[in-house]
Amino acid sequence: MIELQNVTKLYGKVIGVNDITLSLPQGAYGLLGPNGAGKSTLLNIIMGQLTPTLGTVTVFGESPVNNAELYRKLGYCPSHEGLYSNVSALEWVRYLQQLNGSDRDEANERARKALDFVNMTEAMDRPISTYSRGMRQRTKLAQALAHNPQLVILDEPFNGLDPIGRHDMTLLLRKWIEHGRSLIFASHVLHEIESLTRSFLLICGGRLLASGTSEEVHTLLTDLPNEITLHSNQPKPLAGWLAANDGIDSIRISGTAVTIATRHPGELLSSLPALVAEQGIEITEVHSADESLQALFNSLMKIHRGEL
Amino acid sequence: MGFGNVGAVFAFEWRRALTPGRIAWWLVLAAFPVFLVTVVRINADFRAPQNPEEADLVRAGWAWFLFVLIPMLVTMLGTLLWTAPAVSAELERKSWVYIAIRPDGRTAMLLGKYLAAVIWVLLAALTGLLISVMIAGAQDTMQILMTLIGITLFAVPSYAAAYLLIGVLFPQRAMVLAVAYSLMFEVLISFIPAMVNQLTVSWRLRSLLCYWCDIEMPPSVDFATPPAWLHVLLLIIYPLALLAASVYLIRRREFSSAAESET
Repeated sequence: MIELQNVTKLYGKVIGVNDITLSLPQGAYGLLGPNGAGKSTLLNIIMGQLTPTLGTVTVFGESPVNNAELYRKLGYCPSHEGLYSNVSALEWVRYLQQLNGSDRDEANERARKALDFVNMTEAMDRPISTYSRGMRQRTKLAQALAHNPQLVILDEPFNGLDPIGRHDMTLLLRKWIEHGRSLIFASHVLHEIESLTRSFLLICGGRLLASGTSEEVHTLLTDLPNEITLHSNQPKPLAGWLAANDGIDSIRISGTAVTIATRHPGELLSSLPALVAEQGIEITEVHSADESLQALFNSLMKIHRGEL
Repeated sequence: MGFGNVGAVFAFEWRRALTPGRIAWWLVLAAFPVFLVTVVRINADFRAPQNPEEADLVRAGWAWFLFVLIPMLVTMLGTLLWTAPAVSAELERKSWVYIAIRPDGRTAMLLGKYLAAVIWVLLAALTGLLISVMIAGAQDTMQILMTLIGITLFAVPSYAAAYLLIGVLFPQRAMVLAVAYSLMFEVLISFIPAMVNQLTVSWRLRSLLCYWCDIEMPPSVDFATPPAWLHVLLLIIYPLALLAASVYLIRRREFSSAAESET
């Protein structure tokens, strides 16, 4: 479905994406990376809105730049709003369907169906300025889905949504994926992507650092050096017990906190209940700072540079 | 690309233009020349011309006055406000990408907005012209009216196309550069009696005014002026060439909104 060969995009001296090569068959993918990682740049290259400085891109076997036929197969929902306040959702989605080549009647029908799919039927005749954030997000999603594209690209679709809005959006997107349609979903939040797909692309600093299933990502995470902080009212006995364990790289005591670095955090964490039961050491808090996404990306960047 | 896409943009833009603010602008644009002509008509001492030379002078005075007000001022201002921000408005609103991802969406957006601007400004200019000419009550009213209608019909598409091209070339500074272009090029340079004034729209419009209203040509107009038919031909070619350049550029340039360029 998508082929990128050594794609690099430069904005003057700033690198947007850096030497990305990937091949994606049809399916649902999560594009995971922190803010400023190059996700939107990569998506814009895939959609033909940016031309790579180096490398080649094909989508469904064709170059996406100025490719009218290809654009009929794509739907895009950007991270920002960009809506017109004084028109209704129906008018706006219909207008965009007309730009897709539908006549007015067909565009109207498609717009109504799409707005119904995203549960916007009741509000679709009201001006967009009267909509809540969730309704605007659903309207944006409707314009991306209305022409029944083969591939939908969503850039941070959960931005600004409350938990109910996120849940509703997740259900809508799951329904879309269940129809056998392809999807690329960009986010900086791991669990948002996990709620929709098990296929990940990890991007940071413009580089594609890793790709695979969620299990592979978690394996990658657990095999990397992790820092864990345990809080206890008996920090010294706890540190002593931990020092006797294999796989501990370092131990640091600070007040009630014992911070350790380990390459096998999973094994260590699973042995903690036994410690509490057998040694009688009370552990009040466990923090694994390295489980944050940024830590994963930092570790992957180090692997990428050959530092680990 | 079908004309349907251009029509869709035109209809959408027209629908969006029906807001109190935009309608008020339309009324201001149409009423502005009417107001000035009325003020002149009330305050000036218009006694009957004493001889044919004096009559010619008064007629030429009205023709020039109306020319400056409508084919120059109203059409330039109206088209500048509509077409110069054609691209920047979409970029700033961040609605650009929704259009750009559609088949030939960029071209349709450009031409649809151009068409909407031309019709919107033409309606305002011609309304203002018709009422102004009637209030002026100049000699040979029909000749002046028909001449200025013809000139307005050439002025609006030409200026709209020029501002549109500026908007495509420099979306971030479109309004400032469009105003600079108007003042420097269409006002200042067009009055220089040298070959460079032949590049301006206003010089050609002034030439047509002199030809069609039988007005003596001032030196800035008389300089190397070709026959009227050539002015007409070039005023037809001019907007088409600028539109073609705008379409070429908008299809090839990379535009991205601020939010997207951050990531």
